[in-house]
Amino acid sequence: MTLVADLFMILGALVAVIAGVGILKFQTPYSRFHAAGKASPVAAMALAIGAAIHLGLVAAGILLFAVVAMAVTLPFGMHLLIRAIHRSGTPD
Amino acid sequence: MSVIALIGFGIGGVCAFVRLIMGPSLADRVMALDVSLICLMGGITVDATRRDDTSYLILLVLIAIIGFTATVSASRFIESDQIDALAERES
Repeated sequence: MTLVADLFMILGALVAVIAGVGILKFQTPYSRFHAAGKASPVAAMALAIGAAIHLGLVAAGILLFAVVAMAVTLPFGMHLLIRAIHRSGTPD
Repeated sequence: MSVIALIGFGIGGVCAFVRLIMGPSLADRVMALDVSLICLMGGITVDATRRDDTSYLILLVLIAIIGFTATVSASRFIESDQIDALAERES
């Protein structure tokens, strides 16, 4: 069972690395924000599944609350940031 | 085995830090900080599973909400000089 949990955690870490590389590689701010706002919730979700399998039911509740709090708020924050950039004239 | 996950989140954090330094505009820096917060949450979770200790999981909820508040207030700040122009345009 811990193998499944470890695989999920490694998948989450892989998506986080992809988000990091996506932030560095993309040129326009729109695509950078797309990479950041999209990949990081997926990384957190995969990681939370792995940790919940490993840690049991009580921790799974706390993890579920954290992931729901993040999955709802993170895209909203990223959207506000992109709208702020868009309105003040995209730099490049 | 789960050290690989820790290394992955470390790399994500380093990429976010590089974007924090290079970022042309303030919003890129705020976004880089947000991504580094998420990598920090990942590290906390992996560390909790490695030590089988669930006392630090509450931190995840705190970081998620504080990171969101910071992002919203930063975007509000970036947009602050546009608010009056917007009001005229819409009125």
